[in-house]
Amino acid sequence: MAKKDTLKALVNRDISEEVSELLLTKYNPLSAISAASLEDLVAIGLSEETAEDTLTKIGKRTARTSAGTAKAKKPVPEVKTEVMEEVFNERIFTPAESKLKEIADRQGANLPMKIISEIANVVEKSDLSPEIYEKLIATANRMYTSHLMDKNESTGVMAAHSLGEPGTQMNMRTFHYAGVANINVTQGLPRLIEIVDARRVPSTPSMEIPLIGIAAEDESVARHVASEIEVTSLLDIASVETDITNMRLIITPNTRKMDQRDLNLEEIVERLNKVKAIRGLVKLSDFQIVITSDEPSYKKLQIMYDAVRNAKIKGIDGIARAVLSKVGGSWKIITEGSNLKEVLKIEGVNANKVMTNSILEVADVLGIEAARNSIIREAMGTLGEAGLDVDIRHIMLVADLMTNDGQVKAIGRHGVSGKKSSVLARAAFEITAAHLLHAAMVGEVDNLEGVTENIIVGQPVTLGTGAVNLIYTPKKGENE
Amino acid sequence: MMRGITKRIGWIKFSCVSPDEIRRMSATKIITADTYDDEGYPIEMGLMDPHMGVIEPGLRCKTCGCKVDECPGHFGHIDLAMPVIHVGFIKDIKLMLESTCRNCGRIMLTAEQIEARRDDMSEMKDLGGGTIDLKNFSKETAKDASNKGICPYCGTEQIKIKLDKPTTFREVDDNHKLTPKEVRERLERIPDEDLKTLGMDPATCRPEWMVLTALAVPPVTVRPSITLDSGDRSEDDLTHKLVDVLRINQRLRENRDAGAPQLIVEDLWELLQYHVTTYFDNQTSGIPPARHRSGRPLKTLAQRLKGKEGRFRSNLSGKRVNFSARTVISPDPLLSINEVGVPFVAARELTVPVHVNEHNIGKLKEMVARGPEPSMENGYLPGVNYVIRSDGRRIRVTDRNAEEVAENIDIDYTIERQLMDGDVVLFNRQPSLHRMSMMAHRVRIMDGRTFRFNLCVCPPYNADFDGDEMNLHVLQSDEARAEARILMQVQENILSPRYGGPIIGAIHDHITGAYFLTHENPRFDRFEAMNILSKLDGIKIPEPLVDEEGKEYWTGKQLFSIVLPEDFRTAFKSNICQNCDVCTKENCQFDAFVKIRNGQLLCGTIDAKGIGNSKGKILDRIARDYGSDRAAKFINEVTKLALGAIMNHGFSTGIGDEDIPEEAALQIANFNQECINEVSELVESFQNGTLDQMPGRSLRETLEVRVMKVLGQARDEAGRVAGKHLGLSNPAVIMAKSGARGSMLNLSQMAGCVGQQAVRGERLSRGYWNRTLPHFDKGDLGAYARGFCSNSYKTGLNPTEFFFHAMGGREGLVDTAVRTSRSGYMQRRLVSALEDLKLTSDGTVRNTVGTVIQFKYGEDGVDPSRTVRGKAIDIDDLFAEVLGDEADTLLNVDDRDIGDDYGSKEKDELEYTEEEEGEDYDDLDTDFEGGGE
Repeated sequence: MAKKDTLKALVNRDISEEVSELLLTKYNPLSAISAASLEDLVAIGLSEETAEDTLTKIGKRTARTSAGTAKAKKPVPEVKTEVMEEVFNERIFTPAESKLKEIADRQGANLPMKIISEIANVVEKSDLSPEIYEKLIATANRMYTSHLMDKNESTGVMAAHSLGEPGTQMNMRTFHYAGVANINVTQGLPRLIEIVDARRVPSTPSMEIPLIGIAAEDESVARHVASEIEVTSLLDIASVETDITNMRLIITPNTRKMDQRDLNLEEIVERLNKVKAIRGLVKLSDFQIVITSDEPSYKKLQIMYDAVRNAKIKGIDGIARAVLSKVGGSWKIITEGSNLKEVLKIEGVNANKVMTNSILEVADVLGIEAARNSIIREAMGTLGEAGLDVDIRHIMLVADLMTNDGQVKAIGRHGVSGKKSSVLARAAFEITAAHLLHAAMVGEVDNLEGVTENIIVGQPVTLGTGAVNLIYTPKKGENE
Repeated sequence: MMRGITKRIGWIKFSCVSPDEIRRMSATKIITADTYDDEGYPIEMGLMDPHMGVIEPGLRCKTCGCKVDECPGHFGHIDLAMPVIHVGFIKDIKLMLESTCRNCGRIMLTAEQIEARRDDMSEMKDLGGGTIDLKNFSKETAKDASNKGICPYCGTEQIKIKLDKPTTFREVDDNHKLTPKEVRERLERIPDEDLKTLGMDPATCRPEWMVLTALAVPPVTVRPSITLDSGDRSEDDLTHKLVDVLRINQRLRENRDAGAPQLIVEDLWELLQYHVTTYFDNQTSGIPPARHRSGRPLKTLAQRLKGKEGRFRSNLSGKRVNFSARTVISPDPLLSINEVGVPFVAARELTVPVHVNEHNIGKLKEMVARGPEPSMENGYLPGVNYVIRSDGRRIRVTDRNAEEVAENIDIDYTIERQLMDGDVVLFNRQPSLHRMSMMAHRVRIMDGRTFRFNLCVCPPYNADFDGDEMNLHVLQSDEARAEARILMQVQENILSPRYGGPIIGAIHDHITGAYFLTHENPRFDRFEAMNILSKLDGIKIPEPLVDEEGKEYWTGKQLFSIVLPEDFRTAFKSNICQNCDVCTKENCQFDAFVKIRNGQLLCGTIDAKGIGNSKGKILDRIARDYGSDRAAKFINEVTKLALGAIMNHGFSTGIGDEDIPEEAALQIANFNQECINEVSELVESFQNGTLDQMPGRSLRETLEVRVMKVLGQARDEAGRVAGKHLGLSNPAVIMAKSGARGSMLNLSQMAGCVGQQAVRGERLSRGYWNRTLPHFDKGDLGAYARGFCSNSYKTGLNPTEFFFHAMGGREGLVDTAVRTSRSGYMQRRLVSALEDLKLTSDGTVRNTVGTVIQFKYGEDGVDPSRTVRGKAIDIDDLFAEVLGDEADTLLNVDDRDIGDDYGSKEKDELEYTEEEEGEDYDDLDTDFEGGGE
C-alpha cells in the first residue's frame, strides 16, 4: 500500500519504474531515499549517473550527496546592503521641559520624562517664579516616589491576574467592524487568547493603511492604491470558457470591472504569461484573450483552466479585500488579510503608520521591539473594545516576557512555560512525565528558586516577604 | 517551641537509579505474586512483605521497626528474568542507538565535530541556556551523528533502526528485531565521554539503565490495600500490575531455564515488556491499556502524576489544610468592611495557638479552665481545645479535665485557644481569579450558621448570596498574622491593581441612598436627620440651618459632608450627567457637577461616580491620599449614611414603574411597524435584485446588514420614547441613571420593545428548512420571521417571539459555559508563565534565572494600584498642593478628563441580556497532558 504510493510518487518525479522498484527494495518513504547518500544508491545496484539523477529529481541537492568530500563551493551571491539612512526620532525638549529637567537633575529627582512634560505643559502657559518650579519638582518627586512599586513585589502574578480575571467578563464571539468598512475582526476573549498564544496567523488578519500625499486627499487616487493592494484574480474581472474542440481557453474580460481595477488587456496578458502552466501560451485576439494548449491532452487543458482561474493578476498576496474609509479628512485603507512587507512598498502608503494585527508579521518585518509594541497595542485594544480597563503596565510585562529573547514566544507549554528553568515547575504545568524522565536522564538540578517548586517542597516562596533572608535572633538577656 | 523555619532545601537533583542501586536499596527481593496467606498475613517476599513498610495500625515495620505513619516505607525489587525497555526513555534510546556505532559504540562524529559541539554546549550554558535549549541542542547533535552511513572510528557500516511503537526496535534492512538485551549491550558500549556530548551525565544516568534488569517495587505505603466492609481486601492498581509482572517474570524464567522453544520465550518476553510498559504508563499509545477486572483502565505510575487530578497539581501545587471552615455566606450591612461574622459553632472548632509566657499565663489559665465548651450565659467566650506541653505532648481539654489541666499550665506551654472577636483570618471565595479573592478579615463571633460580611466586599469576591459558600482560614503563626494584617486586610485592597481604581465601594442601595441624600439637596428636619445619622458613631453633627419659618433643618449635602475628611477637595461630573454640549458646572440644571472644597459638598449629586465600586472618585482619592484605614472608615460611614437616607425616603420598584402612557405605546408600535415595513421593502428589493450591493459583500450579506441596522433603530427609538415617558422620578430610572443597578437598555426592553434576537451576531436563521418556525412561509426574510420581538417584556412576548428569545438566551448560556473554561485555561497559562517574575531591588523585573525582563517595571516603576487612572502622579493634585486654590485658574481643572471611568465601562450596546455568571468552574481547563510531542 504505502509502497505503491511511493512508487507513484517516484514515477511522478520522472524516475523510471525499474529504478523506482529497485529503490523501493531498500527505502520506503520518499524521505528515506532523499536521506540516502549517493554511495548508498550505487550500492543497491544503480549506476552512478542514474543515482545522481534520481537524487536530484527527488529534490536532494547533489552538493550534499557527496557527503564526506569537501563541500561544493557555490559562489555566495553578494548581498547588496543598501546604506540606510539613519533616522533620528529624538524628541526635542521644549524650553519649559529642559528647564524643569535641569531642576530635577539638580535635585536628584529621578522623574520620568512624561511627568516633567505634563508639568511643563501647564507651566508654559503661565509665568511662575523659579521657586514655584523648584517646589513643583520636589513635590512631584515626593508623589512619584511614594507611588513606586514595592521591591520584591510579585509583578508577574499581578499582571497575570489582571489579564486573566477580566477574561471571565469578556464575550466569546464578538466580531466587530473595523472602522466604517465592513471588515470583520475577531475581538473579545478569542482574540486575547490568540495574542498570548502568539499564533503565526491570526484568525482574522487585517491591516489599517493610512495613505499619504495626494492619495490621502483624492478618492480616485486612493482607490487606485487600494486596487494595487487588493488581490485581483482573473475571475474577478473576466469570464473563462473552455473551447474543447480547439483545445484552448477563451477569456472574455469585463471592461467595466477592469477599469475599476485599473487594468488593461496587455497587462493581463503579460501577467498570465508568467503563470506556470501556461507560460508563453497566452495571446491577445481582439478583445479576448486566448490560451491555446501546446499539447493535445484534456488533462493539460484542465490544468491550464485551474491555473488561469486562480491566477493572480494584480495586488498583494494574502490581501483578500481592501476597503477605503475616510477618517479625519484623509483616506485610509482597511484590509482583510495582511502582508506588511509588501504593503510597505506600495506608493501612496504612509509607511510610518501602517498597522497590522498580525504580531508575528510585525516581528518578521520590523523586528522584536515593534512586535512588543504590537502585542501591547493589540491587547490594550481588545480589552478596551470589551469595555475593560487594564493598566498598561501589566500588558507591557506580558509583552516583554513574550519577546524577551528576541523571538515572539507564546504563553504556554510551547513557549514561556515550557522553557522554565525548573523541572518541578514544568512538570506541574503540563506534560508531567516527560519532563521528569528527561530531568532524570540528564541529571538536572532544580535550584528551587521559583514559586511552584517551593510550594511543592513546602517552603516559603521567594517573592514578596518570602524574598527577604534577614533573620533576627534576639540574644538571651537582652532588653532586660 | 514555634519558630520560623530558618533552614531551606537548597536544591533537588534528579537522576536515574542503576540496577545495582535498586538492589542495594531494596529491603527485600520479591519473588512470589501472592500477597496474603490464608490467615490474612502478608507473605514474606511477596508484594505485601512487611519489610516494605506497614499499613495496618499496630504492626511494626520489619526493616525499621516503626509503626504506621512513622515508617516512610522501603523499596523492594524484582529481578527481571530478561531485560526490558523503559517506555519513558524510548525516544532517547532510539536517538542513542542511531547516533552511535553499532559495533564500537562511539558517537559517529569526528573528533573535531565533537569538540565543536562540546564548545557550543558549554557556551550555551555560560550564556544561560536552559535545560530545554540544551535538550534541543543535544537532539540536533544526535540527529547529525545519525546521518552517517559508516562509523568514522571502526568503519562499520551502519544499519538504520526503526522504532515499532511503543517499544520494539527493528533493523531496517532485514527487519531483524533487536531484543532489549541487544539494545542494552549496544548502550553499554557507549563511552562516558560520548554521553556527555549527547547531553547526558554518565554519573547520574548510564544509558543501559534505561533497559531494566531489576524493577524497583514501591513501598506498600505507596499502594495501600483497602479492606472493604465485607472483609475482602481490595488491592491498589499498582499492586495488581506488579502481580502481573511477577507472574510473567516467573513463567519466563521457568521457560527459559527449562529450555523452552525460542518462540515461547520471546512471546513471554514481549508479554513481560507489555506489563512493565503499562506499569509505568498505562496510556502509552499503540498498546491497549491494562484493565481492572471491572473494565476500568488501571491507574499506574504516570497516571498518578499526570493531569489535574495527578500528584503534581492536586497534592503538590495545591495542598489541603487544617484550621479552615466553609459555609454559606449571607450579608450583614452592620459589619465593618474588614469584618467577617463567624458562627460560634465554627469558632469552637477553629483554634489559634497561644504561647504561654509570664504575662499571659493568668488569663490563659482562666481560659483553659473554661474548657472547650464554655457556657453562653455572658455571650461567647473562647475556650481551649488543646494544651501542648513544652515537651510536645498534646493534651485534649475536656469539660472534665479542664480545671486540672489549667492548674498545670506553665511557661513555654502552648494552648490552642478557640477563635474570638478580633482574630485575623483569611476569607476566600473560589474561583480565586485575583489577589482580592482572598483577603484578611477580623472575626466577629455571631449566632447563626453562616459567614457574614459587609455588602461592599461582594465585588472583589464576586460573591452574591444565592447559596454561595466561602472558605475561612485561621492563621497559626505571628508572622502570618502580621503579614495578613499589613498586606491582606480588606482596606489594603480597596484599590485594585488591575486599573488603579477602587474595587470595594458602595453598591446598589447605597448608591440610590446617596442619590436621595444629595440630589437637589433635600432638607431634613431634626427627627429625619437624626434617624439618618443614627447608625454612625462618633460624628460631629453640624449646626442646623434655619428656614424661613424659623424651623431647624439640615440639608442632604450637609449630612453627606459629615463623613468626608475635613480638608477634602475634588471636582467631577457624576453619573447622572447628561453630557450636555456646554457644561454649566456649578449651575448644572441636573445637579450633576460635584464640587467638594474643605470637606464640604458644595454642589452635585453623589452617585456611582462618587462612591460606587470601580468608579467612585471620592473613594479612590481618600484611599490614596488618606490611607487605607480612613478609606475603610469612609466606606463604612457613607454606606450607613446612604442606607439611613434610603430608609428615610423609602424605595421600591415594581412592574408599575414600566408603565408608559398609551400614546407612547402607540408611538412605539407605529415606529416598529414603519421599520418592519422598511424591512419588507428591503427584502423585496433584494428579491428583485434592485438592492445596492455594498463593496466586498454579497447581496445577501448586504441585506442582513441593512435589516439589522433598521431594526436596531427600531429598538433604540422604542427605548428613547419609553425613556422620555419614564421621567427622572421613576425608581427604575433613578437606579439606572445613578448607576445603582440596571441600565436604560434593560428598561427600554421592559417598557418599549425587546428588539432583534441574535445568535452569533446574526438574525436567527436556523430551525426548519428555509424558515425558523413553521409559523412562517418558507424563505420569509421579514422582521418577524427572523427573530424580531416588537413587544416589550411588560406587554409580553407572543409565542414565536418567546421561542426566538429563548434561542438568543440559550446562546448566552452556552457562551458563559465555554468562556469560563477557556479563560480559566488562559489564566492558568498566564500565571504559570509569569509567576516567577519579581521586581528586584535594583528596579528591574527578573525571572528566577536572573534574566532581565524589564529594566524598569512598566517603564516608570509605578505600582498600578497607586496610580491615578494609570498616570504616575496626578498633575492636578500636584498643582493644587503647591499653589493652593490658585491652581484652579491655572489648570482649568474642571475642564479636564474628570469624566473618566475606571473598570468596566457601561456598554449598553453590547449587553443584550443581563447574564448570571456561570457558577460551575469544575472543568476549568482543557488539559493537554501527554499531548507533548
